[in-house]
Amino acid sequence: MADIFSSESENGLMCAERHLKRASYAAFLGIRLIVNEGRLQTVLPPREDLIGNVNLPALHGGVLGSLLDLTASLVLAYDAELIDTPRLVNIDVDYLRTGRVLETFGAGEVVRRGRRAANVRCWLWQDNFERPIAAARVQFLLPQRSV
Amino acid sequence: MFSKALKELPPFGEAVGMSLDENDLGPGISVLLPGHPRLAVDEIDQNFHTGAILAIIDNTAGWCIRDHPDYVEGTSMATLDLRVDFLHAVSVSQTLRVRAICEAIDDNVAFVRATAEELENGLIIATGQATFMLGTPSGLDVTTGLD
Repeated sequence: MADIFSSESENGLMCAERHLKRASYAAFLGIRLIVNEGRLQTVLPPREDLIGNVNLPALHGGVLGSLLDLTASLVLAYDAELIDTPRLVNIDVDYLRTGRVLETFGAGEVVRRGRRAANVRCWLWQDNFERPIAAARVQFLLPQRSV
Repeated sequence: MFSKALKELPPFGEAVGMSLDENDLGPGISVLLPGHPRLAVDEIDQNFHTGAILAIIDNTAGWCIRDHPDYVEGTSMATLDLRVDFLHAVSVSQTLRVRAICEAIDDNVAFVRATAEELENGLIIATGQATFMLGTPSGLDVTTGLD
């Protein structure tokens, strides 16, 4: 399995896994990582206590926002092989469809990574990748390593 | 006026540990979130995860719409978007207070502004802005209408 990835993405994956392993809030939500065709994806299994609207029922908007936040962070850690956690400056979430109480997937891409800041886009979907349920633009400050 | 309905927290609100601050005179709505290790970034970084701050802002933003004089009780609402700026890191030894106010409801769109602060000293640690689509009073469900 591992040999289909370049050593670069293996290192990136190790970084992302290390971030997730020690993460408290991500563990509370139950977020997991998978690599699909060389791309990092987050997975959030459905759970009763993640519901925001019991009548529909639907996942809480804060859960989807948190998953976007964590997806962006992990995609950036993967892409930039970050050891330290980047600081999230702001996030702009678009809610596109109802988040049903189903397994939810997240993916993203680093739009630009500079020396000090990075811009990441990410999105969530459930049973159909073509029908995203939410998307976000996220700005990060990159950890500065003293030379 | 709507406080009774408000007391019924969504399951995720309960899981996170938020509660309505009934002693706050407003304007708008105030919600408290006591810090807890499960809401921290990781074992070393014991600050609130940005996703947890976003979640309580999302929740409070939705709730405060019911406080607006033009809101018709029972109308469904769907979050269209939410932007959050994270001004400062805040330790999970602190309690967060989020205040949200619905500035206008027009053409079934509700415009909301929110701030998150440290309860102890009032330092604003995050600001948010959100828009919501409201169902029409006839009962048309906008949430499913989005699909």
